[in-house]
Amino acid sequence: MRNVVRVAAYLPVGSSGGSRVAAADEDEFTLAATALERAWSNPADAVEPVVVHALGEFPPMVDWGFAGVLGREVAVIRHRPTASELARALRSLEEGEGGHAVVVTAELPERSSDADPAKPPAPGAAAVAFMLAASNKSRPFSLSKGTSDRSAVSSALRAKGSDAEATPDATFIGDWDASPGKGRPIDAEATRRAANRDLSGRSEGAYVPRPRYIENLPSRWRFGAQECDACHFTTFPARGVCRRCGRRDALTSATLPRDGLHVIATTTIGKGGQPTEFDGQVEAAGPYDVALVEFPNGIRVTLQVTDTVPGRVKVGDTVNTLLRRLYPMEEEWRYGRKAVPVDPSTR
Amino acid sequence: MLRGFNESVDKTVRGAEALVHRAAIVGAGHTRFGALEDGPRTLVRAAVESAFRSVDKGADRKDVREAFLSTLGFGGAQIGNSAAVLAEEAGVVGVPVTRVENACASGGFALRSAVGAIASGATPLVLVVGVEKMTDVSNARRRYWLGVSGDTEWERLAGLTFAGVYGLIASRYFAEHGDASEALAEVASKNHENGALNPNAHFQKRVSRSEVLSAPRVADPLGLYDCCPVSDGAAAVLLASPEVARKFTDSPVYIDGVGAGTDYLAVQERAMLTRFRATQRAAHEAFRSAGWHRSDVSFLEVHDCFTIAELLALEDLGFARPGEAAALTLSGETRRDGRIPVNPDGGLKAKGHPIGATGVSQAYEIYLQLRGAAQSRQVAHASHALAHNVGGAGATATVSLFSVG
Repeated sequence: MRNVVRVAAYLPVGSSGGSRVAAADEDEFTLAATALERAWSNPADAVEPVVVHALGEFPPMVDWGFAGVLGREVAVIRHRPTASELARALRSLEEGEGGHAVVVTAELPERSSDADPAKPPAPGAAAVAFMLAASNKSRPFSLSKGTSDRSAVSSALRAKGSDAEATPDATFIGDWDASPGKGRPIDAEATRRAANRDLSGRSEGAYVPRPRYIENLPSRWRFGAQECDACHFTTFPARGVCRRCGRRDALTSATLPRDGLHVIATTTIGKGGQPTEFDGQVEAAGPYDVALVEFPNGIRVTLQVTDTVPGRVKVGDTVNTLLRRLYPMEEEWRYGRKAVPVDPSTR
Repeated sequence: MLRGFNESVDKTVRGAEALVHRAAIVGAGHTRFGALEDGPRTLVRAAVESAFRSVDKGADRKDVREAFLSTLGFGGAQIGNSAAVLAEEAGVVGVPVTRVENACASGGFALRSAVGAIASGATPLVLVVGVEKMTDVSNARRRYWLGVSGDTEWERLAGLTFAGVYGLIASRYFAEHGDASEALAEVASKNHENGALNPNAHFQKRVSRSEVLSAPRVADPLGLYDCCPVSDGAAAVLLASPEVARKFTDSPVYIDGVGAGTDYLAVQERAMLTRFRATQRAAHEAFRSAGWHRSDVSFLEVHDCFTIAELLALEDLGFARPGEAAALTLSGETRRDGRIPVNPDGGLKAKGHPIGATGVSQAYEIYLQLRGAAQSRQVAHASHALAHNVGGAGATATVSLFSVG
């Protein structure tokens, strides 16, 4: 029997009516992906294949999306988000053979378009993502800190962990300790409206053909780059050719760090200054910041800033990055990384 | 990584072979810039007619054996084959016409192509027309087209239009050289003051520095008055070889040197945000081919699509040391009566920026100024002028040098 060795959870920073609320650019996929990638950051996990038990209402794209996040082949098994389904998934996790298996779940508030805006979100209208990883190492686990007790999923997780001990390498991410209401206030109704918007016909033509979007996923989602063994130059975004010496046959895949990036330049896009693809976002969440950020090796990337009050991020600040919704195109959401200030006072 | 970038660019600059040949402007025409009722065909026709009318000794359309059309194709109504539209409206159907598209620098590159055509000896007269019709499309479509010339995937779809990219650049400039908000406001205020004297300008009213500073923010630190307007308009020039120029006029304006350059499309790939390598390369090439010094220049027409761009231009073109363009601007030296006047026609900021027309419009203004025909906005003792035209946020650029002798 194998043991669950790592637990990662991600809770949205925003709050409304005492509940945690996902921002307009978060959804089930980004919540789960964030927990997944944080728990999977250990190089010792480089074992294949990986089975992901997905509990919840995930969009169909997670079948390839989780693989895109992890940068490895992944088999996705879907479950309904109930305690019994979770128990079943955990059982198969423990009994599974050949490589790693994870359980990932995310829970979002009802996104009914006819919700009463005056009514506060119902209890349980919180978003939470957990990731549990199993391996052959004999380490027990527990969720050592209180989780959301509002959902069947989290109750089941707590029940599972109650008779186990805390494990030193359990990873907790997100604003785990904060009491509800401490996070960034969010207009939950506006967020719901944004999430419900018709995905078609919003772009006036800034067009990234889907094959190019898919081709650039490693760079867009994981900061995938290519290091040249001949001249030691790092090319980002990866283009299959060294930007300095032009060699194609001496490239090694590399991943640039997703945390601890340095802000080189920043701007706040006011209403009307945004490309049309971001109209829905501005309508739901108001002005936003965009920053040019630098990796430790000097490579730069332009990222939108999220989970912060616009105008707070300054040149010289440090940011981490998270996978979020970027823009809708061809009737689907396109995803990519956004920057989040490390210093909570800038949020 | 950054060192490698710099080395390669420096090598490019050092290795730039200057185009050494001259051409003469013998006629220039211009429409009003602004939100106009006229469509693009009418604008082209008006600019061409105005250019032919301006030729002192007259010119025959039959002498035009080659033409260049500068346009982005804004709005998408006629993206392909718009060269034929120019042939029709200019009355030169049959003559080869090439459309040149390098975003906002299309005009400068069209002019450069025309100089090359003159040098080839194939034609005694070349027509260059720049046009853009921008105000007849929906707000959403306009915002799309305003961003179409930037990097689509990594910049625009991170949520940036060009205002946003220049907002990033301005924030970086402030971080490197201190807050320059007051200088940016002075750029806008000065150019509006010049525009108020230009009957073709989109905006012909003065704006105070405090109005600029208190305007709504579009892409902080840039506000509404830091951005050029969305304008319709066209401009045209007639270029002749120096040998035949005096057949058309006794006072031609010569193009003594042209330079051009490119840079990475996305600013994230560049080593520096506050320098446009394309401008630096273009300036280096133009000055070398003309054999001029910076001190020869009487006034500048620079690409001030956003106020910060005028500060960058002064530094990249070699008229201010890095970080010192703000002080130069605040000293009043770039005003029309200053030591080195910048944008006496109001610049893109006040005159307007019909994308494809801008580079040609700069040549028109210089044609007037160097012939002493700029009336109330005339720069005193103007004999040598520089035109600087930038595509997008510096991915392409041209510099052209003009003189009366």
